[in-house]
Amino acid sequence: MALRAHLNIAGPAVLVLVLMIAPLLVPTYWVMILSEILILGLMAVSFNLLLGYSGLLSFGQGAFFGIGAYSAALMLQAGYTNLFLILLVGMLLALIIAAVVGFFSVKLDEIFFAMITLGFGMLLFSIAHNWRDVTRGSDGLPVFVLPTLNFFGAEVSFYSPIHMYYLVFSVVLVAIVLLWLIVHSPFGLVLRATRENKQRVSFVGGKVNLLRIVAFTISGTFTGLAGVLFCLFNSMATPEFMHWSFSAKPVIMSIIGGTGVFLGPLFGAAIFFFLEQIIIRFTENWMLFLGVVLVLIVIYFPQGVLGTLKSKLLKGEPK
Amino acid sequence: MKSDAVLRIDNLGHDYGKFKVIENISLSIGAGKLSALIGPNGAGKTTFYNAISGKFPPTRGRVFLADEDVTGLPSHRIVDKGMCRSFQITNIFTHLTVQENVAIPLIIQQKKHFKMFGNAFKNGEMIHKVRQVLEQVGLADRGEQVVANLAYGDKRLVEMAIVLARVPRVILLDEPTAGMNPEETENMIRLIKKLASVSGTTFFITEHDMKVVFSLAEKIYVLHQGHLLAEGTPEEIRSNTEVQEAYLGRKVHA
Amino acid sequence: METLLLNTLNGLSWGMLLFLIAVGLTTVFGVMGILNFAHGSLFMLGAYLCMQSMQIFHSFWYGLLIGPLCVVAIGVIVEKYLLKRIYGRNVSYQLLLTFALLLILDDGVRMIWGSGYYVVEPPQILSGIITLFGQNYPVYRFFLILLGPVVGIALWSFFHFTRWGKTVRAASFDNVMAEGVGINVPLIYTGVFALGTWLAALGGALAAPLQSLNPSMGDKIIIQSFIVVVVGGMGSFPGAFAGALLIGLLESFGTVFAGRMQMAIPYILLAVILLFKPNGLFKKGV
Repeated sequence: MALRAHLNIAGPAVLVLVLMIAPLLVPTYWVMILSEILILGLMAVSFNLLLGYSGLLSFGQGAFFGIGAYSAALMLQAGYTNLFLILLVGMLLALIIAAVVGFFSVKLDEIFFAMITLGFGMLLFSIAHNWRDVTRGSDGLPVFVLPTLNFFGAEVSFYSPIHMYYLVFSVVLVAIVLLWLIVHSPFGLVLRATRENKQRVSFVGGKVNLLRIVAFTISGTFTGLAGVLFCLFNSMATPEFMHWSFSAKPVIMSIIGGTGVFLGPLFGAAIFFFLEQIIIRFTENWMLFLGVVLVLIVIYFPQGVLGTLKSKLLKGEPK
Repeated sequence: MKSDAVLRIDNLGHDYGKFKVIENISLSIGAGKLSALIGPNGAGKTTFYNAISGKFPPTRGRVFLADEDVTGLPSHRIVDKGMCRSFQITNIFTHLTVQENVAIPLIIQQKKHFKMFGNAFKNGEMIHKVRQVLEQVGLADRGEQVVANLAYGDKRLVEMAIVLARVPRVILLDEPTAGMNPEETENMIRLIKKLASVSGTTFFITEHDMKVVFSLAEKIYVLHQGHLLAEGTPEEIRSNTEVQEAYLGRKVHA
Repeated sequence: METLLLNTLNGLSWGMLLFLIAVGLTTVFGVMGILNFAHGSLFMLGAYLCMQSMQIFHSFWYGLLIGPLCVVAIGVIVEKYLLKRIYGRNVSYQLLLTFALLLILDDGVRMIWGSGYYVVEPPQILSGIITLFGQNYPVYRFFLILLGPVVGIALWSFFHFTRWGKTVRAASFDNVMAEGVGINVPLIYTGVFALGTWLAALGGALAAPLQSLNPSMGDKIIIQSFIVVVVGGMGSFPGAFAGALLIGLLESFGTVFAGRMQMAIPYILLAVILLFKPNGLFKKGV
């Protein structure tokens, strides 16, 4: 009991502390890697609201990431530089599209759900790829001016990687706290129940499809937020974000980290990027090694790295 | 047509393609009664249950809950109207704890299933209600256990608790003792009897095990090849020659 | 009129190729319940190994024979040592494991042959041009259009008239029961995966003279094959045939009536089918 309580409180506290001081200690290159980990980590944690908590494998999550990114790029191009407005509009657009895609998709399960979300994702990819007047096609939309923030009278810009990092860190922190609250709310509990047994939920009066649509929409909204951040970080929105191979990233990260633990996907994102950084020093064929790592995890650590660690640590502890 | 029946079924029929699985079933069950539906395998019991509980709409006929027509409503609406069912194969939330299993119907009943903030168990009323339901089925000391780790009989009790949590007017139990050992069966019979006598809830069960049916039911309906063959008290059913020939014969005299 | 004919022929030849790939995918899914993300990579590997064998034996026909067989050997190893461990596990693990294979195969090919393009010439006898209603058309594409139905009929006969084929079909209905009546299910799984692999690799070898070879040539075809399999009905044999022709024709005609947006058409089709006929066009029942 004591160990679990300690892990649940001290773990995240230490993590936040480390992430707060890390950029002061590591070189700029790693500050940027950390930003990327946090952004993709947010995408993976919100994706896991579907895979881990609702039992739905979405293969079109990139679409919402892309919508967030394009919305930010287009707004900046049009001269809107209010940070909060850009974050909000990106989320709102992702919310609307996710609600529509969710409405059609949640009737399906398992492989069929994966296929229809893949289809919708690729549909949006096709639009981004071919609607050149707006998106500039495969060249992508560059961002030249970043939004600014009026911080107690002082104008803060985000051109330095460290400023950008703290922006990403704060937004991701707030978003992850919100997601944590949702997962542990009555809604979160009923959602987990639909993952376990949707028939039973429906036979005690729950509207399974509506629950799933709401979950899908929340997941898409926060993924959209991650997309906005990535566009600012990367100064670019490209159709690649919406491609199925990009949608595979949160799946990979969640499974590496562990879908059964709330922060598992964030750890998965960290492992993903650290591995990449280590491996590309030795070989260009990082994908091959990623594939091998994935095979090993799927076969030997089905609970993911963090999931396995946690259950090893808590062995014998009552829940 | 007004009646004091809490569950009334009118001319119910269901087809799979051209095959009529059940046909012409009419019955009406009074409030607080403990009735049972029996019949050999393949008689159409489960189809009947599915058709009246909203798993799929029946092909023909109507279902009334206290004079309100609920025919063809989706399952979650029928639960809201006051009828809740269990399943033949244990149908619970395996990887959640016992108390979470019971909290889910309660959250849904209180319309809090879209509440995104706060914890279901931070609220004293919820803890109290969950405890109450668990005490009813005798699982009060296992609230924190994950259901997957329970014994089979206890899992069936969890399912019972899930159904009870919604405090339905009518409870449908599809073979509540299926797969249980004699001791667990005994325990379940006692529980159903106790619940029926205390709560005034109407129970309608299907059963395979004749011993269970005759020791529980006040009224028995016999389903044979999709038709209602007979209805009556356990004594009447026991002495009904048609029923004996169709179904009970060997078992009663063996 | 001329464009109509040309588009039809292009659609048919691409459709037939797609059929070879999709029929393997759908058979593996029907029997083993696994949707193989790496199927497109097996197709790509088929093309490369065909090209490699051609360089050794200086004959397209040897390449067509030997290339796919080498891929089958790899497929058998994959099934026996990897896939075997995840049967019955959650769908996300199956998709992810086969996705990992895709990464390994694509990058492995890149490691061996580099990321440049390779070109394979069709064999002498098929390299000419036929003139049809005043239109010139490559013989090789006609060859593909004819080969599709031949392979289709051969497979269909195998599944319906041979003891082996019937056994496989029985196992795909209910593998617990199949095991009960003494069918060696693990052997069937290996066999079916080998067959699926062979079909994908054969498709790759046949596609080699049609398009240039590069390590990511499987990525487009795997998504198209997914669509074919879903549209035709997962596990359905005639469905794969009809679906493949439909997607092939949509691809060639799409550009005519939808311009650049033709890229989106297959995905719209996929969504519509899943919404209104989730079991596909050719599968009955639930």
